[in-house]
Amino acid sequence: MHQQLTSLSDKELISRTRKLKDREAEGVLMDRYSHLLVAITLPQLHKNPSLDPNVIFPGLLQRLSASLRTQSIYKANEWMLHIQRGFMAKQEKIVPFYPSREVRDFLHIENVVEKASTNTIDRQDLIVRLEQALQRLPEEDREILLEFYIEQKTFADLTASKGWNRDKVRQQLKAAKNKLAKLYINQSHVK
Amino acid sequence: MLNNSSNNDKVIKIFSGIRCLSKDQLPRYLEGRLTDVEKHLVEQHLADCDLCFEAIQALEKEANTDQYNDLTNKLQRYIHQSILPISHVQKVAQFTKKERTKENLLVYFWLIAFAVLGVSSVYVLRGHMRNAPPAPPRIVVSPATQAPATKESTEEAAHTEKTVTPQPIITTNHATPTGHASPATTSPTPNTTATPVKPATAPVAVDSVKLKQLAAERAAKKKAKLDSIAKVRAADLEAKKQDSLKKAAAAAAAEKEQQDRTDAEKQANAAKEKPVPPPPPEALKKEEPKKEVPAITNSDENLYRTAMQLQQQGSINEAMDRYRRIEANGNGRYVEMARYQLAICYRMKGQMGKARRMFKEVIKMDGSLKTAAQQALDTM
Repeated sequence: MHQQLTSLSDKELISRTRKLKDREAEGVLMDRYSHLLVAITLPQLHKNPSLDPNVIFPGLLQRLSASLRTQSIYKANEWMLHIQRGFMAKQEKIVPFYPSREVRDFLHIENVVEKASTNTIDRQDLIVRLEQALQRLPEEDREILLEFYIEQKTFADLTASKGWNRDKVRQQLKAAKNKLAKLYINQSHVK
Repeated sequence: MLNNSSNNDKVIKIFSGIRCLSKDQLPRYLEGRLTDVEKHLVEQHLADCDLCFEAIQALEKEANTDQYNDLTNKLQRYIHQSILPISHVQKVAQFTKKERTKENLLVYFWLIAFAVLGVSSVYVLRGHMRNAPPAPPRIVVSPATQAPATKESTEEAAHTEKTVTPQPIITTNHATPTGHASPATTSPTPNTTATPVKPATAPVAVDSVKLKQLAAERAAKKKAKLDSIAKVRAADLEAKKQDSLKKAAAAAAAEKEQQDRTDAEKQANAAKEKPVPPPPPEALKKEEPKKEVPAITNSDENLYRTAMQLQQQGSINEAMDRYRRIEANGNGRYVEMARYQLAICYRMKGQMGKARRMFKEVIKMDGSLKTAAQQALDTM
């Protein structure tokens, strides 16, 4: 059972936890992200030595499991980051997680892409639309996107060619993607 | 610039979702031990995922990854120990809970079923008690007390089942008005209150004792008048006959006179004893009491009256005997009344089939009691 659960996607695990009240699925989900949780919590533990990891992590897990039952979660990684930040900033206060507009646009396009992967007609349509959206992007943004995704340049290559640091490269990529997503969504509204 | 199809396909990659870095991918990325394809995928994901990027940044600052490894192992162990075992315990608990709810539901079901059964049985019993046949003493209740309620209650009786029982008494009153009225109220003139008055008294006697008395008095007066008229007319007839006989005797020969006399005597006798021609118009009796021959009806009437008295006193069998005798003798009006009373007696005795048959016969006779019999049949 446990082996089967590990192969499920985040979405399925979350829905299992909710609908079937399956604690096992919840455990698998937490297990999947445990190392990342530890990694992002480490700097705070270093900064504040009074924090005891033996207390912090169980508390964080409790918060996560409580939130899992009540909140609508589109992307597990973003939800976890949000909860972890909220927990570390103020342990008493529970800040609900709402995905931003951009995140929802992103999610929508990701779902469309996922569906198109099995349907060639949809796939061709999607490619045409994305090409159209790309043509309308500013030159700079289009260039960085094409270099990164189609020419498969690494972060290191891009930092070298552009003269930015890795953070800046990532921010630029993100911004370009957001613009592209917006263009695509607006396009699809016109249809 | 990039217009070939292979490049076009790669456009989709911009928005393809990729899973977060796994536990062994993370250190390998940091150490640069990933293949080019894998590295590209991870970097694609890092461009979107804040969680993974933050984790990588945090781990890059870390000089020693021992604490990270230690803490992740601890956390994973904690998750395995706290959440996974709980799930097993929870499954068992869920199963037992399910079973318990099943049992509880069964118990509730049977409780409700028994409650419903009890309530329905009480309801049915009540209905049965309400509709049960009445106790026999009720029938013997004196007619005087029941009489006032007669007409209105008969009308109500048609609607409600409860008043089925008192009806026989009412109908007896209704059907035998003279029988009730004459012995009780007008005892001094029992003989004179004969047949012709009945239709007049029948509806009136119903209301109250006073009304009954009044009706009886009126009937007595009427009868007295009618009787006197009848006597006078009979005397005239006889005188006329005698006159004609005398005339004939004077005119005819001596031999014929004798024959004529004997004929006349025979005619007179026939007129006195056997009213073969007059009785058939039974219906006319009420309207034309002139032709009536009182001698024979008197015996029927007496029989009928005694039978009524017997019936009221409770000796139904004897009363029925008498009614049958009247029926057998075959005098139209009295036969009808006797049949009606017989039907009532049958009903009192509980022989509903016979009672029904009798009522039907009464209806068939198409006399004055037809409607009463019809009513009685309907309410039976």
